[in-house]
Amino acid sequence: MSFIDTLRSRWQEYRRPGYYENFDYAWTMTIDLDSCTGCGACVTACQAENNIPLVGEEELARGREMHWIRIERYWEGEFPNAKLNFIPMLCQHCDAAPCETVCPVSATYHNQDGLNAQVYNRCVGTRSCAVYCPYEVRYFNYYNHEWPSPLDQQLNPDVTVREKGVMEKCTFCIQRIRQAKDAAKDDGRRRVLDGEVQPACVQTCASQAMVFGNRNDSQSEVFKSMNDPRAYHVLEEVNTAPSVVYLKKVEVNG
Amino acid sequence: MATNALGLFNAPSSALEAAGALKGAGFDSPTVISPIPIHGIDEVLGKKKSIIKRFTFFGALFGGIAGFALAAGTAVMYIHATGGRPIIAIPPFLIITYELTILCGILATVLGFILGSRLPAFKNRVYVPEVAVDKFAVTVLCEDPERLKRAHDILQSSGAEEIREVEGEQ
Amino acid sequence: MANQDISFAQINDDVVRSLVVTGRKYYITLAISILVTFTCFVGPWFYQLRYGIGAAGMNHPTVWGTYLASFIFWIGLSHSGTLLSAVLHLTNSEWRKAMYRSAEAMTLFSVMVAAMMVMVHVGRPWFVHWAVPYPNQMEMWPNFRSPLMFDVMAITTYMTGSIIFIYMGTIPDFAAVRDRTTGWRHHMYVLLSLGWRGTDTEWNRLHWAYTFLAVLIVPLAVSVHSIVSWDFALSVVPALHQTIFAPYFVVGAIYSGTAGIVTVMFVLRKYMKFEHLITKLHFDNLGKLLLVMSLLWTYINMVELFTGWYSESSEEYEALNFRLFGFYGPLYWEMILFCALAPLLLISKRFRTSFVPMLILSIVINIGMYTERFLIVATSLPRQYLPDAWGMYVPSLVEIAIMVGSFGMFTTLFLVFVKIFPSISLYEVKETLPEPQPKPQADSGAP
Repeated sequence: MSFIDTLRSRWQEYRRPGYYENFDYAWTMTIDLDSCTGCGACVTACQAENNIPLVGEEELARGREMHWIRIERYWEGEFPNAKLNFIPMLCQHCDAAPCETVCPVSATYHNQDGLNAQVYNRCVGTRSCAVYCPYEVRYFNYYNHEWPSPLDQQLNPDVTVREKGVMEKCTFCIQRIRQAKDAAKDDGRRRVLDGEVQPACVQTCASQAMVFGNRNDSQSEVFKSMNDPRAYHVLEEVNTAPSVVYLKKVEVNG
Repeated sequence: MATNALGLFNAPSSALEAAGALKGAGFDSPTVISPIPIHGIDEVLGKKKSIIKRFTFFGALFGGIAGFALAAGTAVMYIHATGGRPIIAIPPFLIITYELTILCGILATVLGFILGSRLPAFKNRVYVPEVAVDKFAVTVLCEDPERLKRAHDILQSSGAEEIREVEGEQ
Repeated sequence: MANQDISFAQINDDVVRSLVVTGRKYYITLAISILVTFTCFVGPWFYQLRYGIGAAGMNHPTVWGTYLASFIFWIGLSHSGTLLSAVLHLTNSEWRKAMYRSAEAMTLFSVMVAAMMVMVHVGRPWFVHWAVPYPNQMEMWPNFRSPLMFDVMAITTYMTGSIIFIYMGTIPDFAAVRDRTTGWRHHMYVLLSLGWRGTDTEWNRLHWAYTFLAVLIVPLAVSVHSIVSWDFALSVVPALHQTIFAPYFVVGAIYSGTAGIVTVMFVLRKYMKFEHLITKLHFDNLGKLLLVMSLLWTYINMVELFTGWYSESSEEYEALNFRLFGFYGPLYWEMILFCALAPLLLISKRFRTSFVPMLILSIVINIGMYTERFLIVATSLPRQYLPDAWGMYVPSLVEIAIMVGSFGMFTTLFLVFVKIFPSISLYEVKETLPEPQPKPQADSGAP
């Protein structure tokens, strides 16, 4: 009898969509497009923090740029009245991520922090995740990148240097999240406090357009920010349930 | 080693006739060896019960269960939540089930064929190379010279082109 | 249905000759195809392994390229052999019997080449065994929820099934050839024929086993290309995310596979001297099948365009616009010309029964079908949702070389096959001949 009950409860557990009843943390980022100036500091910060290679002019021309966060530029209108809109685009850490289901070797999966994790060691390089990603934020190592001296001296020891044939993408600076969690544990706290952890891009943003935090915590800044009336998801119609929330730019005089 | 009478015929109809006559005369299992499958052989030698269909069916059944167990079991053994899907996601696992059903069905059919047709042959069996070209042979095991003589007569009266005595297993 | 006036012995002679007697032309062709394989496939692949996938022309939005197009192409080409053979076996079609062996071989080798294309495609092929479910020290298992994993399972099953199907059908022929060969060939055929004699029991078992295999293989073959289509259709990419994709791929596969059979039949007939075994009737029937498939294919293409247009979503519009009128627009119209318009010639019986035009048409169709697979990848991925991430993809020299090399590999495998496997089914061709009748009593007599 108890065996059957165990079996039934296990079955129900494994049949639950998304598996996690609720995440320990649900890391979320909001980006206020009203404040974003499109300066590109976040791109540089990310490049430095996460050992992202500089591909060089030639490879860039071939469309093999590598940056986990990019500033998308959209022009509106014709020349005299042209307007420029920016939108920083990074991995949206979707809760229903198309990229996760397609990986045949489980190299990308959802962890209990609600992050879309990428295991470089496990990746075989089918590149299907990049095809399945509607946001185009997965970047592939087309060859082994080199850091000419003295650039190799500034590689971040907390982050792997990826080899050729491996897919990589924004991790929400998982190494910083880990450190914050470890520190919280050392202090005997159960949870990381709001504002204790910031990815490199958020830390760098001069106009403080980006807010990062745990949306499970209703006192957190990010929770307030994502409940702003201007909040929206990019490509909401694809139903990916992203963890990055954008705040719409407000036009004053149209 | 046992001696066998073997008659060579140039037409399937006369080979069948000879096989029928041998069976009627009390030889329990005449064997017809032919370059092509002969139609209507069941009426003469009796219908053959084949176990292959059982192999196919149970193989496929096993494959279906094993397929779902493989997909669901391995998913549970090392849990990776992906894409907002449940750990045991039925529709994708049904596809794995489907493929493994067919794979195991195929493999079991081969096993059934190997066992059912007593292949591969490790011992020397009754065979003459002509039957791979255009001759039809009827052969029967004869324990003693007297039965050999009777088989010889029956084969000859059915119009055998050539009659041989061949050593080997049936 | 071979000519009615040839004898059983002559068929044996023909087939044994095709295995044993080897002309200079054969060796020259074999040498060329091995050379092509090494210079165009193995060499560039090694370069790519050392350098990285960067040797190919793929880039950020278009991370899939000609390798995947070739993969679909070869899987598609494999679809007529075993599938057609199994369907025709179940429906008792006489005309299948002279051609099915080489068609099945085509299946087998296409699947093998397709599997190689996967190895070429992935970024780290030295870890590709991680996609195989086996117990390991990492306690990691593949992700069975992934469409790519369906592919791994389906293609493994398909390859296993095809090997078994062709082998089981050939056992009686191995036995027939065994008696006529000497030396190493004899030993090989003794092993391959498993001691087959052709007794009534053996024929009975073979018949049932073969029929059950055919029954299993028909749904399998249909599932294989549906699953390949889901690699694309289960994504959210505009112009790929379509429910029509599974039937579209299956029809396309049978279409290009049938065209491939016509090409192979022509070559076999001409160079293996099987003129009296492979006749106009086969080409006529294959031509009819090609016509039906081309019409179906055209219809599904129209449906694809229509649903895209009817959706009235900007991303579908953009993808369709790019496919029809963009950089690769001319290739699209070439595909329509080759695969939808040119096959209309098959309406004429005179066209279907003339060999050289059929050969040309079959090659033209397969060029069109390769284009189709290329366009699926190269015109959908560069135009996805976010215009900032739009791009352009042009295959690199390495990719083109590997594509050419895959044809060399296929030819090499096929050339080795025709010298080991009897490429015409002996016993089934004999079955189509009139049954030998007993000679008048006066002629027969005991020795």
